[in-house]
Amino acid sequence: MQIAQTQSLCPVCLRLVDADYHLEGDTVFLRKTCPEHGTFQVPAWKQRDGMPSFKLWKQGSRIPAYPAHPATGIDRGCPYDCGLCPEHVQHTCTGLIEVTMRCSLGCPVCYARAGSSCEDPSLDVIGSQLDALSHASGPCNVQLSGGEPTEREDLPAIVRMAKDRGFSLVQVNTNGLRLGREADYAAVLRESGLDSVYLQFDGVSDDVFRTLRGRDCLTLKKAAIDACGRAGLGVVLVCTLVRGVNDHQIGELLRFALAQGSHVRGLHFQPVSSFGRFPWGMDEAPRITLPELMANLESQSDGMVKTEDFHAPSCEHPLCSFSAVYGRNDDGSLSAPMGAACCSGGTGPAAASPRVVDNAEGSRASRAFTAAHWSSPQGKNASLNDAFSRFIANFGADRRFTLSAMAFQDALSLDVERVRGCCIHVVAPDGRLVPFCLYNLTSLDNVPLYRSTPKAGGRA
Amino acid sequence: MALDPNFTTDGGDWICAKCHVPLEQIKVQALYMHSAFDVILPRCPSCGLTLIPQSLAEGKMAEVEALLEDK
Repeated sequence: MQIAQTQSLCPVCLRLVDADYHLEGDTVFLRKTCPEHGTFQVPAWKQRDGMPSFKLWKQGSRIPAYPAHPATGIDRGCPYDCGLCPEHVQHTCTGLIEVTMRCSLGCPVCYARAGSSCEDPSLDVIGSQLDALSHASGPCNVQLSGGEPTEREDLPAIVRMAKDRGFSLVQVNTNGLRLGREADYAAVLRESGLDSVYLQFDGVSDDVFRTLRGRDCLTLKKAAIDACGRAGLGVVLVCTLVRGVNDHQIGELLRFALAQGSHVRGLHFQPVSSFGRFPWGMDEAPRITLPELMANLESQSDGMVKTEDFHAPSCEHPLCSFSAVYGRNDDGSLSAPMGAACCSGGTGPAAASPRVVDNAEGSRASRAFTAAHWSSPQGKNASLNDAFSRFIANFGADRRFTLSAMAFQDALSLDVERVRGCCIHVVAPDGRLVPFCLYNLTSLDNVPLYRSTPKAGGRA
Repeated sequence: MALDPNFTTDGGDWICAKCHVPLEQIKVQALYMHSAFDVILPRCPSCGLTLIPQSLAEGKMAEVEALLEDK
């Protein structure tokens, strides 16, 4: 039964093709047919008992928020004109800058296919990327990524460059090895103005790291978390979730995250996508859909969190993510959910009627939320001698924990409607802004749509 | 140092425009969305007109306001 229509790409030749979502049993599939390469389909949404239905989660309409300063025109249409083009419907929440393609790991799973020896971009290039981002998107959040950013000795200078331009939150996406190995490194990054560490953290046992990262990592990653806490850096644990590898550790990861203290601000899951480097055939990828993750969170946490806690986003497209925010008790446990990580529709009774989301307001709220909830905790040294301060200490961002997930799209699962509403934009070396999934997307033959392509735009 | 919940002006000597008397640090209760906050603020001892310093309005008070509206 067909339940929605959209457009996608042929995973072989990357041409634009019509696509639909259709329900078979308890699974919604995205299906498309290329006149040259045939029909492809991929599971997009499970809706077994207790999981939110695809239709309910996706319902509602949006008021577009077009780019104030589009950097590219409309030539071949979405998704080939990114820059952003005038038809992109969501502002930037987070701008991502790859400061190196070198990496200390070379993981079997890597969206950026990092590990090459190519030369790092100069500080001048990075400065111009930051300026392009600021011009296009204002004071959004910035994530310095790679490759492994800590491979660069001048990373503190890059952090300062971003802070000096007034971005709301400056975050480093890292495997954490250097943070765990060098005692003072977290403090150096904090002193340079870093707000938050987006720490690759896939499991609670080294067999998971050996499979996904190619070596034991757990001891160094724990040391990295402790070092960030001592330095006053907020940490978000980020788990690449792969069926059969670490989906049995979802509950243990949540308990581990909560046990670390308030500097671990949240746990974020990224169900695996097949772009860049991955050790399986794209059509055999061990995918896990967002509703399955919600159900696993409930069952593996013994009900500490519930599927009904989770909300659809108001910033990015509803099919791209879910989130919930919880209060934290003094013993580290979670209190009742307080809402979503930005304005939301949710799965509860309030979601029964269609909603209208203003994309610009959704983006503004999401930026502010991320800046407040993923940055360094401030409570320990704050004065508590007045009623306002005590209230902030009890109910403010320092006392909250965010639980979230984002489903990336690869050449099989790409939905053009979703990428048009994307709010996470990679700043290409030439200053173009490209939605994260499109920037990393590769065909079945590993041909990139955008990465390392000239300014004329993506391949067709 | 006294641990009073005391928010003084951001600078200068403030006089009530209506009563022409200097403001004094007086305990007041700020109410918003069913929550009450006892704080000491510059206030006219005659008519009760209260000054909320700009730094407080744009700082802690704005943060509390946002938290209350989130709840």
